[in-house]
Amino acid sequence: MAAQPYGLIATFETAPELYHAAEQVRDAGYRFWDCITPFPVHGLDKAMGVKRSIVPRISLAGGITGFITGMSMIWWTGAVDYPLVVGGKPLFSPMFAFPVSYELTILFTAFATIIGMFVLNGLPMHYHPVLKYDQIKRGMDDTFFIVIEARDPRFNLANTKALLEKAGGKAITELEP
Amino acid sequence: MSSHAVTAPAALPADSAAPLAGKALMAGLAGIALTAIGLFVSGPSAVALSWLVGVTFWTAIAIGMLMLVMIHHIFDASWSTVIRRQFEHGLSAFKWLALLFLPLVLATFFFDRDIVWPWMDLSREIHGGHTVGHDPLYLKKSGFLSPSMFVGMTAAFFLIWMWLSARLRKASFTQDADGDVKWTFSNRVTAAMGLPLGALSLTFAAIYWVKSLEYHWFSTMYGVWFFANCARGALSFGVLIMVWLWQRGDYKGILNNNHFHSIGMLMLAFTVFWAYVTFSQYFLIWNANVPEETFWYNLRELNHDGSTNQWWYVGLVILFGHFVVPFLALLSYRYKVTKPIIRRIAIWILAIILIDIAYNIMPVLKDSHGDAAPFLSLNLVWILSSVVGVGGVCVWSYLRSFPTAKLIPIRDPRIGESLTHHE
Repeated sequence: MAAQPYGLIATFETAPELYHAAEQVRDAGYRFWDCITPFPVHGLDKAMGVKRSIVPRISLAGGITGFITGMSMIWWTGAVDYPLVVGGKPLFSPMFAFPVSYELTILFTAFATIIGMFVLNGLPMHYHPVLKYDQIKRGMDDTFFIVIEARDPRFNLANTKALLEKAGGKAITELEP
Repeated sequence: MSSHAVTAPAALPADSAAPLAGKALMAGLAGIALTAIGLFVSGPSAVALSWLVGVTFWTAIAIGMLMLVMIHHIFDASWSTVIRRQFEHGLSAFKWLALLFLPLVLATFFFDRDIVWPWMDLSREIHGGHTVGHDPLYLKKSGFLSPSMFVGMTAAFFLIWMWLSARLRKASFTQDADGDVKWTFSNRVTAAMGLPLGALSLTFAAIYWVKSLEYHWFSTMYGVWFFANCARGALSFGVLIMVWLWQRGDYKGILNNNHFHSIGMLMLAFTVFWAYVTFSQYFLIWNANVPEETFWYNLRELNHDGSTNQWWYVGLVILFGHFVVPFLALLSYRYKVTKPIIRRIAIWILAIILIDIAYNIMPVLKDSHGDAAPFLSLNLVWILSSVVGVGGVCVWSYLRSFPTAKLIPIRDPRIGESLTHHE
């Protein structure tokens, strides 16, 4: 085994145990850690101190970009690059540029949302060190885990282990990198 | 947050709001009295149209509540169960709205045929020197725009709304007592019948009451525009009720952030819906540029000498105030779940709905040049007094219904899911 493990994994039997353990890990100030549960546990994000995702902001940026793209594209093609009077209408009006801008707003919002989500959550992820843990499959069945990564600035093999024990974690194991 | 809320609704004796109801009724009567005084100040037509604005505004909110309750049932929705009861109380207002609409019909038949709707008076002179009775654009529509049709249809609309409301209220209130699931199924049937009936009746109500004021004009978007305002008005009013009952303490332990988030998301969706519909109507008329349609917007932008009139600015207020501002505000999660902020947004939207309805009705008043009477005039006072007058009666009706049933439908099959509503 390498000198520094990937991190520590602790086992919990029930959702409430995991929930309260997560609160303790959160209050200890850890940042690089995660919970592994077989099903969504409501309120766990709060117990873990996870903030709301910033994906909506990325979506908004995408939407604004799309709107500006639509407006400026119609303006540039119709009023600057190749001015042509159509149907007695002005060379540019936000009125007829609006449907296109609106569509591009939606399109770019969708792109920004999907791409932003994948960039932020790191998917697709083909390998993760916890997969080497022989009990990890139970995390899809009937057991809950907390993993604290060694790259966390507060990580200290002895202290972190003590914290997980105090929080009620069983079978605390070092993970290979 | 989610698990311990279920214990809250043990008795829920929805506290009587009787003193408040009395105040609302007094405000309503005062508004009606002030509007009546207006008859001697601004003349019958201006006041009658202002009254139409007030009645239409509150009827729109009530229709929106009716549609939302039926949409709740048809989708077997769970999250909105705890706030559905408040909408059901709101539905009690339809009979009073019918009563308050009656003066317009009576004034038309017994006082002045074209006091509100110009086409009611066949001898009325119109632009071009001939009368309504000789106007080909009226004659082609005379089967639809006849006084008897108007009265019959308007009566039918109110009867449909009252009947659906009575069914929905009775089933929901009875279920509180006997807990029988058959009432839930009965409401689903009512909703399945009522949604197409409601959609048709609100569309034709908008056409008869508002659009026919300019019977030359046509827009296939009109009913949808009206529905968008109905839904937005009901959602905003629902938020006001939710925050009020939260602050009074009734809703403590019942509502959580997710209820506010969900209704806020619907407000956002209907903001976009309203904008889509309203823009489509304007854009198609602007793009086709046919005089039979453009005159309606010309009247609301320009005077006969080409100068912009006040309605042009009102139009911009509607564009930015009814879409841009609420759209951007409602994008924020924090704004949707922070009660003072979402309440402010709801009040804002209600105010602009009123301006939107006034924009559709009031420019019918024209001066000798055919220019629209300005927005900022004494008529604004009669619009506000009408809104208070009709609104006072509606709020009184809501508050009077409020203590007659539990605060939330405690035996609804979905109540548990609603109490623990999460994203």
